[in-house]
Amino acid sequence: MNAADVIRKDRVELSLKADTKEEALRELVDILYESGALTDKEGFLKDVLDRESVSTTGIGNGIAIPHGKSANVRETTVTIGRTKTPLGWESVDEKPVSLIVLLAVNENDKTNVHVKLLSQMARKLASEESCKRLLEAKTADEITAIFSE
Amino acid sequence: MKIVGIAACTSGIAHTYIAKEKLVAAAKELGHEVNIETQGTIGTEDELTAQQIKDADVVIIAADIKVGGKERFRGKRVVEVPTHIAIKSPKALINKIESELNK
Repeated sequence: MNAADVIRKDRVELSLKADTKEEALRELVDILYESGALTDKEGFLKDVLDRESVSTTGIGNGIAIPHGKSANVRETTVTIGRTKTPLGWESVDEKPVSLIVLLAVNENDKTNVHVKLLSQMARKLASEESCKRLLEAKTADEITAIFSE
Repeated sequence: MKIVGIAACTSGIAHTYIAKEKLVAAAKELGHEVNIETQGTIGTEDELTAQQIKDADVVIIAADIKVGGKERFRGKRVVEVPTHIAIKSPKALINKIESELNK
């Protein structure tokens, strides 16, 4: 299995309308909820925002990786969004964020293969080269392909 | 230098793994040997061996939580930083450690 098995095209949105971090998270949480990944939309959003308040998820190079390990997740998965406007995200390199990789993990999924795949996706984001290509990708397929390499 | 270390973050999903990759890439680029263990939601991976620890010049713990098995590093030089430092400037971190060790 690789990341292509955990990224669903209907959970990739390359034209988020959000102008703020919270709006972007709300749009992405909506995508997860509409596609059946969550049991409680507002509950999951709160879990993600709680995690944000602990420390920044802006990992540099224009990318953020917010995440919620939560009882409000039905299906451990990921949603990926790119914003039209770069957003303030208190990133480690102080640059604005335009690609957001939101991980939704069921809090009881300790050994689930999907959790492992998500951690492999996170590893990919340590590479500046991958980040650059993700920011330039034009389709959901391209994004999936980069994570699956 | 020979570096060993541990990465671990609050949720054990994302930062643990990014910190590891950043430290490994930076250390290799700077010509060091490096082995980093991850302690995440899915458990411990790439667990450090006794030999790796014995041979290491320094231990880097990049963690936002208490890590397991610190007693393995008794008698070693241990540097502890939050994961965001390892993610933000891994090369600067390693260079600083190297210059401290050479003092």
